[in-house]
Amino acid sequence: MPYSSRKKTRWYSDSESHGPGSRNRASSAVPLIELRDVSLRFINYADKQYSFKRAVLDLVLRRESPVPVSEFWALRNINLRINHGERVGIVGGNGAGKSTLLRLLARIYPPSSGTVEVRGNVAPLIEMGAGFNSELSGFDNILYNGAMLGFTRPQMLSKVEGIHEFTGLREFADLPLKYYSSGMYLRLAFAIATEIDPEILIIDEALGVGDAAFQERAKDRIFKLLGRSHAVILVSHDMNSLRRLCTRGLWLRQGQLVADGPIEPIIDQYLAWTHAANAS
Amino acid sequence: MDVCTSSSTPQTETFPSAPAPRPPSLWRKRLLEDRVQLPRFWPVIQNLVIQDLRVRYQRSVLGFFWTLLNPLLMMAILSWVFSVLFRSIENYPVYLFAGLVPWSFLSGSVNECALCIIANEGLIRKIFVPKLVFPLARILINLVTLLLSMGSLFLLLWPLGARPSLPMILLPAAILLFVAFTLGLSLIVATANTFYRDCGHLVTVFFQAWYFATPIMYRAEDFPAATQWRFRLNPAYYFIELFHDLVYFGKWPQFSSWLLAIVIALASLGIGYAIFKSQEDKMVFRL
Repeated sequence: MPYSSRKKTRWYSDSESHGPGSRNRASSAVPLIELRDVSLRFINYADKQYSFKRAVLDLVLRRESPVPVSEFWALRNINLRINHGERVGIVGGNGAGKSTLLRLLARIYPPSSGTVEVRGNVAPLIEMGAGFNSELSGFDNILYNGAMLGFTRPQMLSKVEGIHEFTGLREFADLPLKYYSSGMYLRLAFAIATEIDPEILIIDEALGVGDAAFQERAKDRIFKLLGRSHAVILVSHDMNSLRRLCTRGLWLRQGQLVADGPIEPIIDQYLAWTHAANAS
Repeated sequence: MDVCTSSSTPQTETFPSAPAPRPPSLWRKRLLEDRVQLPRFWPVIQNLVIQDLRVRYQRSVLGFFWTLLNPLLMMAILSWVFSVLFRSIENYPVYLFAGLVPWSFLSGSVNECALCIIANEGLIRKIFVPKLVFPLARILINLVTLLLSMGSLFLLLWPLGARPSLPMILLPAAILLFVAFTLGLSLIVATANTFYRDCGHLVTVFFQAWYFATPIMYRAEDFPAATQWRFRLNPAYYFIELFHDLVYFGKWPQFSSWLLAIVIALASLGIGYAIFKSQEDKMVFRL
């Protein structure tokens, strides 16, 4: 087990220089992503209003757990390492925690327990329109979104040409984003996320929206990213595209990692399990 | 002298193992992370500020005109009321201006920051952004308003006796301290309001009361000397006094006033930062 040699390592934010730590280690030996015993708990505050009054009462009466709030473990004891050049497909039913896991990797959610280490630039394509401003023009949004992903204006200006080339939206560059169709939106988001050459690309179901021609080109582009030994993490219910794109599969069920291995057997197991569940 | 003079050292079998590197303390880590993250996300702050200003002044001249007209009308009414009701202060509109403009920066910033995390829910739930970006952007937007209205109102008040003076070169320092004070308060309110939504309403009322408790419309000296100490309990009093000294009286503020302002500003900023950062991770679950 790779986890037996557990060492105390510090959290790397993706922008920190990895200089002293990674100097004497071969960079390929260090996984891009490492999750150790990660759990994530959601507490449902909506069912009982956790008001200021209650907080004060709790403080005064020294009640440890405020109210019997309902809690929900979206992820439980996830151990995961993802190395350079891996294409990981995540399968699982609705509510299994797939998107939550992606958000955890994108640092949107902090883990409730365990440690998350992500070494490298993350480009998340988790929800449509994340980090876009619909009032700004397409061109301005390229710069804005680039800033969100950690790139300066000059860096992004040098990438604008490549982005236009992929999207074919050059003539719409001055149009405010609110007039874009959802396909155009998606193409722009995908082009930016891949053009910045991220170490880790996270895609959640987004590929299903574009037309067939776009999907083909998107797949080409993902393969090109992989040629530069970056990692791609994909969530999809389209098993065929997962089979084509991914090398490794993860199966999540009720927030737990039930299987991890080569993509083909994982998908077969998953499909067999869903059939069995449907039959009974 | 505490020096070892014996020539022999006790024999040791092995070297003691190297001490384990001390993990950086939580707060040092947070500070270091912010030092890296905030410059990185500076374009995002810039964008939030520019976008807001653009929307506000989109209909151009008239938009900015209204932000000026508002305090002007307010000052006109107050000048009239106070010159009739109370012993008049010399150049009352200028006195009012010197306190009112910084005050509207303070109350505007804090009230807007109360909502800044909730208003940017869409962003926070979709992409990683340091949450400090949002209060900072709100403060900067209000700072732009403060500087613009200070400059232009000063010119408008020229006929009523507003004159530049040498001590005004210290105005940037006073504004800087005031911004630090405001940022600290804003961070506290932003955190509190994210967790308890009723805080925003309380803050509005509280600021109304605080406004009347601070010598902006009146002078602290007009009160009996026995009750003067009450003003000294008000942290905003020291900042407003700085502005009064610099803009209205045109005199160099006392060194002790500066010192107190610095202490209060740093305390506010420190407490605000500590509260905000300690709750930052939990915010996304409460949106």
